[in-house]
Amino acid sequence: MRWLPALVSLVALPLGSFAAKSSSSSSADRFQTFHTQAVSSSPIKLADASYKKLTSAPRDYSVAVLLTALDAKYGCQLCGMFQPEWDVLGKSWVKGDKSGDSRLILSTLDFTDGRDTFMSLGLQTAPVLLLFQPTTGPHAVPSPDPIRYDFANGVPNAEVVRDWLARHLPDRPHPLIYRPVNYVRWVVSTVSFLGVLGVIFKLWPYLLPILQNRNVWAGLSLVGILLFTSGHMFNQIRKVPYVAGDGRGGISYFAGGFQSQYGLETQIIAFICKLPTESP
Amino acid sequence: MAVGKGANAGSTPTELLVSLGRNQSTKTLLKVIILALIAAAAVASRLFSVIRFESIIHEFDPWFNFRATKYLVANGFYQFWDWFDDRTWHPLGRVTGGTLYPGLMVTSGVIYHLLRFLTVPVDIRNICVLLAPAFSGLTAYAAYLLTNEMTTSSSAGLLAAAFMGITPGYISRSVAGSYDNEAIAIFLLVFTFFLWIKALKLGSVLWGALCALFYGYMVASWGGYAFITCLVPLHAFVLICMGRFSMRLYVAYTTWYALGTLASMQIPFVGFLPVRTSEHMPALGIFGFLQLVAFLEYVRSAVPSRQFQTFLYVGLGGIFGVGLLGLVGLTAGGYIAPWSGRFYSLWDTGYAKIHIPIIASVSEHQPTAWPAFFFDLNMLIWLFPAGVYMCFQKLEDEHVFIIVYALFGSYFAGVMVRLMLTLTPVVCVAAAIAASQLLDTYLQYNSPEVADDKEEESSDGAAKKASKQGALRSTSQPVVGIYNLLSKAFIAGAMTLFLLIFVQHCTWVTSNAYSSPSVVLASRMPDGSQHIIDDYREAYQWLRQNTKEDAKIMSWWDYGYQIGGMADRPTLVDNNTWNNTHIATVGKAMSSREEVAYPIMRQHEVDYVLVVFGGLLGYSGDDINKFLWMVRIAEGIWPDEVKERDFFTPRGEYKVDADASETMKNSLMYKMSYHNYASLFPPGQAQDRVRSARLPDQSPVLNSLEEAYTSENWIIRIYKVKDLDNFGRDHAAAASFERGHKKKKAIKKRGPRVLRVE
Repeated sequence: MRWLPALVSLVALPLGSFAAKSSSSSSADRFQTFHTQAVSSSPIKLADASYKKLTSAPRDYSVAVLLTALDAKYGCQLCGMFQPEWDVLGKSWVKGDKSGDSRLILSTLDFTDGRDTFMSLGLQTAPVLLLFQPTTGPHAVPSPDPIRYDFANGVPNAEVVRDWLARHLPDRPHPLIYRPVNYVRWVVSTVSFLGVLGVIFKLWPYLLPILQNRNVWAGLSLVGILLFTSGHMFNQIRKVPYVAGDGRGGISYFAGGFQSQYGLETQIIAFICKLPTESP
Repeated sequence: MAVGKGANAGSTPTELLVSLGRNQSTKTLLKVIILALIAAAAVASRLFSVIRFESIIHEFDPWFNFRATKYLVANGFYQFWDWFDDRTWHPLGRVTGGTLYPGLMVTSGVIYHLLRFLTVPVDIRNICVLLAPAFSGLTAYAAYLLTNEMTTSSSAGLLAAAFMGITPGYISRSVAGSYDNEAIAIFLLVFTFFLWIKALKLGSVLWGALCALFYGYMVASWGGYAFITCLVPLHAFVLICMGRFSMRLYVAYTTWYALGTLASMQIPFVGFLPVRTSEHMPALGIFGFLQLVAFLEYVRSAVPSRQFQTFLYVGLGGIFGVGLLGLVGLTAGGYIAPWSGRFYSLWDTGYAKIHIPIIASVSEHQPTAWPAFFFDLNMLIWLFPAGVYMCFQKLEDEHVFIIVYALFGSYFAGVMVRLMLTLTPVVCVAAAIAASQLLDTYLQYNSPEVADDKEEESSDGAAKKASKQGALRSTSQPVVGIYNLLSKAFIAGAMTLFLLIFVQHCTWVTSNAYSSPSVVLASRMPDGSQHIIDDYREAYQWLRQNTKEDAKIMSWWDYGYQIGGMADRPTLVDNNTWNNTHIATVGKAMSSREEVAYPIMRQHEVDYVLVVFGGLLGYSGDDINKFLWMVRIAEGIWPDEVKERDFFTPRGEYKVDADASETMKNSLMYKMSYHNYASLFPPGQAQDRVRSARLPDQSPVLNSLEEAYTSENWIIRIYKVKDLDNFGRDHAAAASFERGHKKKKAIKKRGPRVLRVE
């Protein structure tokens, strides 16, 4: 049994050296590691440990981290809506910058994997997009604090975030957003369009009387007019709630104030306005 | 009248009265009298502001129009046409002659010279103030003409004229003193539509040419002409789709389009837009399409084969589709400008908020909540759908126009408060049709005769025929009339009541909501007497008298026209908003720290800065309330230097008191608004009455500006920009030295002397 320790040490040697190397690796090596990871799948999914490693202090590359909470139990709608855009951005950035000239790593840290990071950053809300600028190298910035993207104006699309990144990373390549063509959707929509066309062609003798029916057109245009003149567009644009409670357990049908209303109000008003139309 | 009396001598008074009404000439006389009275009522109801305050130009834009009119009257038409204004948008200037709609100014100029010619000595200001009421009388008449084209009942036209004359939806933009493009544009809109209907009905080149003429006048007057440019082709298109193509339509449309486009291209501001932008493409497209349809109609009449007809229809559809694709291609290729942002935001309603904050910031561009419709149109809004329904009953070519107009007008009015104005005419027309139908039915004094069986049968047969042809279901029964006198009296009484309430509502709204000049504010004293707050004019007068002729005034763009008009001083930005970057520059100066703002002001040679502050009086339309828009607009250009988020407290509140964020407290706007404000109050009681916030006792310190003037109620505050320091220090150092210098005299504290070792 003399060979066993030797074997163990043999196996352990490269592992140990690897571990030693990774813990004290230079920032260039770290970038290389994460970049190879990114080429296979970007944005990279992080956990607490890898987050620390990626953002550790002397670095000559930039990191954009999206701190998000995708799990349904957190009920973060914004996270879910932004995630596809973020994925598109990650993919197109790597696609346009395979060699890593921009020295930017795009990554995602979910709350379920990175509870401690959220705690240490003192984050109450998600999503948060942080951009860590390089601390060494030609593009180093004096302040080590990450820049935070402002999600106050709703869900941005990938182009907006790309422009934001591009603004903060001058003199580096900024790959354009590339949205993959959804062939299935094209085929489906073409086929369904042709199908609908065929159905219309087949049913034309039956459709024609409906199209030429004055009652149908009168009904449609009156409904349109009534909706528009009772504030339907206001509901659409301001996304008002349908009804709201009045604080006493009942329903408040009318919003107070001249420049606000609920969705239900539109229907009430449209209905009342419809009465004189029915009578004559 | 004498003739009528003579002819009917000897009959009972009632019959005499009835026969009087039947006489054609009496009817005409009555109509003229009624229309004259309506016009008088329309003018009178718009004079509240002149009576309450004085003959003064209102609000913001009218001040520019007034200034331009004065320039026109003083320098003549050709000078006006080539006017380059170096007193606005300093240092860029504005090619004013080529960037305005000259119709309004030219109209007042013509009236001015006409009255002068008739030796009526009248001030140009009074013409400008009273132009809008005068034109409202004409609008009422135009509404009368338009409605008369829709129905045979003459009472409908008169009702429409009355509605048009006093409805608040129109009064809101046409009270005395609101000297804006809309003042004459609504008259032109309604009258152009009347001429279009007339041309279409008669298929006459004369009426078509007249329509084009007034369309040209409309283009010269208001940017809203695009509404006509889109609505008329749409009407034509709907008619073609309904299979109602006729030579009348062809003649009317082609005449209107060819002449109207030529006329509109004479306006320098419009120029080649009619062939280069998407807004005008429907008109051009329908023009081409009509030629095709006309050609194919001709071929069809010559070749009777049925298959050939089908082929033609398919070919027509195909060409239409190809034309549409070509349009899209040309737009994508950049040959045709895509929809302009202002126009596009009507369709994609979220667009402006994201991309053009300057459009979204204007309160007129907000969507309309339903109370606004009731406020502006009152009972007309529920008569309106009924009137549209009646148009469906008859459905001649002109009724299609009302229906199309109603649909699009109500959509636009729903998206933007301001476009309520374009909806109002059709509401008046449709509501008048409905109301007159109701009154005509119920105000028949004689009971209808019981119809014979035979008659019934024949009418039944006719009705069945009609229903087979796809008429409305409600018209399938023959109209008989009302027998019961009680129900007649009840409905007539109810209608009268509604009309009276309508008049009362209109008067109330006009007097309370739309008659404030907004340059002069009115408030009530505790004893009920009126107190006039005249800070604006006070401050502008101060500027006029105490500053150099070419002292540049920096203010937010809302006040640019007023400063130009009342103070006659150059401004950096004004309500024209043609250069977003320049506005954002001012926004950045207002929302940055003094150290950042001062170089900006020096670079633009600013001498004075003007802010509006309502905290003392509780005047809510002040600059601190508009401040976030300044920040947003500045952020659009310099996203790294100005951030909206920084102006909120960590809890996301917009505060001005001690809890306000540091960026807020250091911003130039905040400092200028609250400079020395706390000293008005006893310690610890300084209060902002608009935002009901308690302010810190320590007022913000201004280093690079000094207070020059503050109006009586602190609404306007003017600051002078300090010159560079004589010793080359920065302003903060100089100011602290000044302050320290004074303190020095009081106590000179020094630590104990220590021996220096080393």
